[in-house]
Amino acid sequence: MPSAAILEVKGLTKRFGGLTAVSSLDFEVREGEILGMIGPNGAGKSTTFNLIAGTYAATQGEVRFAGEPILGLPPHRIAARGVMRTFQHNRPFGGMPVIDNVLVGAHTRFASGLWAVAGGRALREEAQRRKRAAELIEFVGLGEPPHADVATLSFGQGRLLEIARALAGEPRLLLLDEPAAGLTLAECERLAGIIRGIAARGIAVLLIEHDMHFLLPLAHRVAVLNFGVKIADGLPEQIRNQPAVLEAYLGSHAAT
Amino acid sequence: MSPLLRWLGAALLLAGAAFFLSDYHNDVYRKLLLWVTLALSYNFLFGICGQIAFSHFAFYGIGAYSVVIFLFQFHLPFPLAILLGIALCILFALAVAIPSTRLEGFYLALATLALAQLFIVVLNEGGAVTGGPGGLANYKLPEFLGTRVRGPWYTAVIVLLLLGTLAVLWRLDRSWFGRACRAVRDNPEVAAAMGVDVARTKVIAFTLTSALAGIAGMVYAFVDNTVNPPIFGLDNAFLLLFMVIVGGAGRHAGAIIGAALLFLLPFVLSPLIGHHHVLVFGVLVVAAILLQPRGLVGLYDALRRHP
Repeated sequence: MPSAAILEVKGLTKRFGGLTAVSSLDFEVREGEILGMIGPNGAGKSTTFNLIAGTYAATQGEVRFAGEPILGLPPHRIAARGVMRTFQHNRPFGGMPVIDNVLVGAHTRFASGLWAVAGGRALREEAQRRKRAAELIEFVGLGEPPHADVATLSFGQGRLLEIARALAGEPRLLLLDEPAAGLTLAECERLAGIIRGIAARGIAVLLIEHDMHFLLPLAHRVAVLNFGVKIADGLPEQIRNQPAVLEAYLGSHAAT
Repeated sequence: MSPLLRWLGAALLLAGAAFFLSDYHNDVYRKLLLWVTLALSYNFLFGICGQIAFSHFAFYGIGAYSVVIFLFQFHLPFPLAILLGIALCILFALAVAIPSTRLEGFYLALATLALAQLFIVVLNEGGAVTGGPGGLANYKLPEFLGTRVRGPWYTAVIVLLLLGTLAVLWRLDRSWFGRACRAVRDNPEVAAAMGVDVARTKVIAFTLTSALAGIAGMVYAFVDNTVNPPIFGLDNAFLLLFMVIVGGAGRHAGAIIGAALLFLLPFVLSPLIGHHHVLVFGVLVVAAILLQPRGLVGLYDALRRHP
C-alpha cells in the first residue's frame, strides 16, 4: 500500500537572471521512500535542494511538506518542521567534538528554554539527547569515540557525520546531496545500507546522485533532470533504458 | 568532590585571600577579579559566539555610570538603581545588536566601535548628570539591610560576581544554546540548515554578555568610588580583546589566564621598561595569532598531547 506523500513539489521554478536553473518541476516523495534524483552537472539538482531547504527563494511554484506550504520560510524554520539535510562537501563545525556536531543537529528538538538551562529537567534532557547522539554515531558506524576532534575524521567518516547530524534533528524528510561522491566502493556499499535503514524507519529520503551505479539499486523511484527540466520519472529499471536518459547522460549518439 | 562543593571551595579560597592582603594589594586583587569577570563574558561573545564587538568595555561603563547616576543624581533606592542599570544595558545592547547582527560580522564591529566612541562623547558632554570630563566622585556604597559592605568583604562580593558570571556562562556553554553559538561562529549557513535561528542566537548572546558586563561595571563603581570618561576608553576595549586572544579564545580557562597575565604583566614590566610594556603586549598578541591561534590554553593542550 503506498503511504502518504510527505513532500509535494508543484511547478517549482528558479531563475538566476536570464538562466532558468529549475523549470516547472513536479514531483513528490512518500514516507519511507527513497527518491533518487539524477542528472548531469548543472541539471538543477542542487538548486532544487536549496529551494526545498529554504536557502534559495523560488521564482515560482509550490512546495508542501506534510500538507503545509514551506516555500518562503527561512531555513531554520524548515529544519524545525522536520526537513534535515547533508551537504555535498562535508561541512562539520570545526570547533566542536563529534558528539557536539551531532547535538547541533538536534537543536530544534530541545524542549527546555533558555531560562531553564540550569534546571534539573534541562540537565536530564541534555543527558538524554547526548545518549541519543552517541547512538546515532553508532548507527552510522562512524567508528570514532564521541569526543573525537572532527579534524581527525577521514573524508568518508565526515560524510557519515553529516548523516548522523541530520538524523539528530529527527527528520521526516532527509535531503542527501551526493552522499556517495568521493567514497570508496566499500564505503558506498555501507552507505547504501545506512540509507536503506533510514528509509525503513519511515523517513522519506530525497537523494541527489551523480553515480547511477550507486543510485539505481538503492532508489525506490528515480527522477531524471536535465537543464532544469524533469525528463523522466519512474522505477529504476524503467529509467535505465529510456532514450531521453541515455541521451542526457551519454550524448545523442547513444540514443540513436 | 561534588561540583557544588568545588564552587564553594573556590569561593572561600578566592574570597579568603582578600583578608590577608594589604589595602593596596586588595585594590589590585579586586581589579584583577573584575578583569577576569569581564574577559569571561567577552570570551563568550567573541570566542564562543564569534562576534567581533568593541562595546564590551563600554557596557561595563554604562553599568558603572548608570548605577551611580540613578543612586546619587536621581536618588533612587539601591535595588531599583541596580535593576534600572541592567535594563539600560539590555536596551542599549538590543538597539545595537538587532540591526547589526542581521548584516555580516564586519558591521557589528563598526556599530560597536561607534557605540563605544559615542559613549565617551556622551560622558564628556553630559553636564551635571555625568559630571563631564571629571566624572562623578565622592560617593559611597549605600547601606543595604543596615550594613555597608567594605574592605575585604567587598572583595568577597567581587569574588561572588566572578563565580556567578562563570557559573552562568559555564552552564550556557554546555547547553543547546552554547552549541548554537559555536555553530553560528563556525558556519552560520550550516547552523541555519540545522535549525539554528542565527540572528536570534547572535542577539541573545550579545545582549546577555553585555548585561553581564554592565553588572560587573556596577560592582566596579564602588571599587574606586569614582567614574570618569578615560577609564572606559577604547584602550581597555582592545586590552580585553588581547586578553581573550592571548589566553585562548573560546575557552573559559583561556579568558582567565589571558586576563590574569595581561593585567599583572605591567606590574612586573613597568619597573623594568616603563610604558614600553604596551609593546610587549603587541608582540604577544601577534605571536598568539601567528603561532598559536588557540592561545596559551591551546599551547598547554598541545604540550600535554605531545610532551
